[in-house]
Amino acid sequence: MKLQRELQIVNRLGLHARACAKLVKTANQFESDIVLRQNEHQADAKSIMGLMMLAATQGTRLTLITSGADAEDAMTQVQHLINNRFEEDE
Amino acid sequence: MLSLSGTGIGRGIAIGRAIVLDQGHNDIPCYRISATALSGEIERFNHAVDAVRADLKRVQRNLPTDAPPETSAFIDVHLLMLDDPVISQQPVQTIQEQQQNAEWALKSHADTLIDFFEDIADPYLRSKKNDVAQVVGRIMGELAHSQGKQPSDLATLGSSLAEQIIVARDLTPADTIMLRGRNMAAFVTSLGGPISHTAILARSLGLPAIVGLHDVIDTIHNNDLLIVDAATGTVLVAPDEPLLAQFRELQQQHLRHQQRLTLLKSEKAVTQDGEAITLLANIELPEDIEGLRSAGAAGVGLYRTEFLFMNRPKPPSEDEQYQAYCHVLRRVEGPVTIRTLDLGADKQVDGGRPDRETTATSALGLRAIRLCLSEPSLFKPQLRAILRAAVHGDAQIMIPMLSSLRELEQSLALVGEVCAELEREAVAFNPKVPLGGMIEVPAAAVSADLFARKLDFLSIGTNDLIQYTLAIDRVDDSVNYLYDPLHPSVLRLIRTVIRAGHEADIPVSMCGEMAGDPAFTRLLLGLGLRHFSMEPSQLLEIRQQVRQSTLAGLPRQVTDILNCVETGSLYDLVDQLNQTDSD
Repeated sequence: MKLQRELQIVNRLGLHARACAKLVKTANQFESDIVLRQNEHQADAKSIMGLMMLAATQGTRLTLITSGADAEDAMTQVQHLINNRFEEDE
Repeated sequence: MLSLSGTGIGRGIAIGRAIVLDQGHNDIPCYRISATALSGEIERFNHAVDAVRADLKRVQRNLPTDAPPETSAFIDVHLLMLDDPVISQQPVQTIQEQQQNAEWALKSHADTLIDFFEDIADPYLRSKKNDVAQVVGRIMGELAHSQGKQPSDLATLGSSLAEQIIVARDLTPADTIMLRGRNMAAFVTSLGGPISHTAILARSLGLPAIVGLHDVIDTIHNNDLLIVDAATGTVLVAPDEPLLAQFRELQQQHLRHQQRLTLLKSEKAVTQDGEAITLLANIELPEDIEGLRSAGAAGVGLYRTEFLFMNRPKPPSEDEQYQAYCHVLRRVEGPVTIRTLDLGADKQVDGGRPDRETTATSALGLRAIRLCLSEPSLFKPQLRAILRAAVHGDAQIMIPMLSSLRELEQSLALVGEVCAELEREAVAFNPKVPLGGMIEVPAAAVSADLFARKLDFLSIGTNDLIQYTLAIDRVDDSVNYLYDPLHPSVLRLIRTVIRAGHEADIPVSMCGEMAGDPAFTRLLLGLGLRHFSMEPSQLLEIRQQVRQSTLAGLPRQVTDILNCVETGSLYDLVDQLNQTDSD
């Protein structure tokens, strides 16, 4: 299964190092390939360097693509983490 | 012999052998690996990565309970970076395909990564290149170690570093945690200022350190004999025997002097003619409370809160601040003067302003109370935390860098607003916390009487007062010579502030460097100062000076000094004042 959804980085600091770490840890729980795409750039959500290099600040729009057996769960969890500001206050 | 100078932290002298921490990429070896040796080279690289991983996990497991909560999360980031294919697998491919040695293969990938980060527009995200550099630096250290090079990583050093001096480019928070309890003699770093991690570590361990010694890593070699003299900010490399003997003697003198001073710990700070003087401590970290106790301070005259806001992406919550203030208030007998955020200028802080370019806030820019008033969301949680914590001790609020009455009125209004909020929420707080102002802008000093009418106390911040009065940019080395605590204008402003306090019948203290310098104690006593606040390490020295002084006659002598018209003779006159025998 392959899913694709548009979302936006809402936390104030954007995809900073510790937010990326949380994202990688979440992504690693799934078999599916999980990719974040911003225009022509794309990053493997299981690679902290890749995510950090997206340099996505607050307000950046991204496409989240999950593909594999547990693509649906992966989509839900990763989307929730990003929309929930990585559990940060702002 | 070579003499290097930087910024000294603390006062002592240390003599010992250098341990140079190789954290950088100088002299990265570059050579070809034969086809038959490739698997061994790949194994060497993998081993280095494994060793760094094991080491980071060990640090993470053994974090002291008082380590900032983010430390573990930062180590997590480094662990994930280490496991990222870009760091741990791509260099292996390069070794394989290009028959390059491990160091060179890693360097070529690291350089690409770091270049990439340097091009990121967002300053906060861009700064993450330092994390890449630190992780790569650790692997490089392990690789050097596996080649039989000298110790390069803290993890490979022994548990005791007695009589050894750590020389490094810079110390990371993780490094400083690993160094605690290892008994080294001093630190020397090429980067960092008075509030770098190195400086904070040195202060809390009571060790001398020299920071900001450019190129020191390339100049000092492992096992070089070093003399570190923190008072002058000097490092002497490979000193000859006579010089060594001279510094050993100075070191002994310093120790004997310190020992003699400790006898004064429980003695009162009273002048020869019986006037009690209040000696307070400046603190920044909870560890500093120890120093304050052992020197017998009467309380805290300046509790700097900036450190709570540093090394983190966002400001601490109200509750975290509340806990921190309670911790100090419960452990200190006597008043604790909490200075509200003094961010900006030389203290650039992640937690305060992550999205500003560092150049944006100069000494004359949006800092301290200006910043706080422009961002109530930063200021109000701090005020709330202090007012709540004040239930548990004798807290006072001190506002830095006031320059106009309007700022004072706005601050008072905010405090009132916060009190009303706490009241409505039925949260326990102390509505009667004394509110004081730091007088460090000449405009406030000249009109100190107007400020004194609305405040419960004044505190003179001499470092900034001197800088602003004499129009000196402290970061510009070429005008350093103009920095003069004895400039008549500075002394007159100090006198004006002290008088204004006396007339309004509120206490005036001084919390700048001058208060902790024994050369100025009598001068300040003569100007009418009765409350001195200083680094805990200076308390005993100043106590001795107070006990050897007689107040009677000082005001007249000091007036003569202030009226002196011969340039350059002020220092001689103050010297004479200090020589006066008061037995």
